[in-house]
Amino acid sequence: MILGNAIWKIVAAGTLVLGIGAGAALAETAEEAIKARQACMKANGAMMGVMVPIIKGEKPYDKAAIDAAIAAEGTACAGWANWWGEDTKPGGAVETWAKEEIWTDKAGFEAAGMAYGKASEGVKASTDEASFKAAFPALGESCGGCHEKFRRPKG
Amino acid sequence: MLGLAVLWLLSAPRPLSLADIPAHTPDLANGEKLYNASGCRSCHLPGPDLKDVNAELPAGGKPLKTPVGTFYPPNLTPDPETGLGNWTDLEFVNAVQRGISPEGAHYIPAFPFTSYAAMRTEDVLDIRAYLATLAPVSSPERAADVPLAFIVRRGIGLWKWIGLDTAKWQPDPAQSETWNRGSYLVNGPGHCAECHTPRNIAMARNNSQAFAGGPHPEGDGRVPSLRGLIERGRYKDAKDIASALQFGEMLGYDKVSSGGMGQVQKNISKLPEADILAIGEYLASLK
Repeated sequence: MILGNAIWKIVAAGTLVLGIGAGAALAETAEEAIKARQACMKANGAMMGVMVPIIKGEKPYDKAAIDAAIAAEGTACAGWANWWGEDTKPGGAVETWAKEEIWTDKAGFEAAGMAYGKASEGVKASTDEASFKAAFPALGESCGGCHEKFRRPKG
Repeated sequence: MLGLAVLWLLSAPRPLSLADIPAHTPDLANGEKLYNASGCRSCHLPGPDLKDVNAELPAGGKPLKTPVGTFYPPNLTPDPETGLGNWTDLEFVNAVQRGISPEGAHYIPAFPFTSYAAMRTEDVLDIRAYLATLAPVSSPERAADVPLAFIVRRGIGLWKWIGLDTAKWQPDPAQSETWNRGSYLVNGPGHCAECHTPRNIAMARNNSQAFAGGPHPEGDGRVPSLRGLIERGRYKDAKDIASALQFGEMLGYDKVSSGGMGQVQKNISKLPEADILAIGEYLASLK
């Protein structure tokens, strides 16, 4: 009986260690995903930082700079579709401003992403100042379309 | 018994009377402007069962979740049966500036009468006149899903002693005319303080912390402080704040779209540019 008890304890401890290991591995992945999302949004902000001054007329139209900003954002955001695992929800170990609605309204979240993709293609296809300025508002609005529903307000 | 009687009296509605309603010829253009500044539409949107109704009309019924329960904001269109068609001016002003329904019940302060109370009564009458020009929609009022609603409403009567300041907005003669316009729009119709000013233990706005931000009323995330927007590098200057409110994410201002602010921004974008610049000037001055 005493031996039995000891074995049970070893098994339990082993399970616990394995469990913690698995948990840590998962947390690492979730952390990476959340950090990648945030880096993508940072690149997105940098892209806006190139485009908005042109839209506002504070800087001259510069097609090369716009294209480079879009390309950099595309690289930073390439893994987007893989970064929304259940373990990356708000309330986990890594702080995120993502809202629960991303997981409860997957279709809505995807539609918002598609709207962004479409608007982004529109800007990419613009060839001169006039077509860029005409294409940009849809891109900006698509950012808002996602942020309004799927991003928590940040103080 | 005496205690109950006192509570009963203290929690009774204290409405305005006809003498408080000024003689006024309505200005519809001003009414539309203040309707947008007040953001009426955002909460009074048509409910899910009104699919064929113009989604821009404040026909009411869209669920509004609050910490005390779910409300269905009423119909603001001039339908005589289910909307404001048969309301008198006095009833409208009492609703908007005192939070009292025509039946004499207290509205819960998710309806920001606590800010609207500061408005010029003439402006409220102009909103009323503008609402009367909208297409009438039949949208019957739905009772709130609030446990013990009667007690809650009566409790609001007590709360109003501390939570409802009935003083009108006053201009600051030391400031510019445009600053004062911005101050009026922000503190009266715009009701910005309802979310951007934290509340004290009695759930009244803590005015010593005016616009310092706080927990989000829907319980998710935080409402940003409006103090020091320039000093903290959030915006370049007053004009930049105005641009953010005028264009939002269309110009890449990504801070004005979460937590319901996207709706607010869309309402403000409908104001004349001079008013939006005035709001920017006032907000930039909050330190």
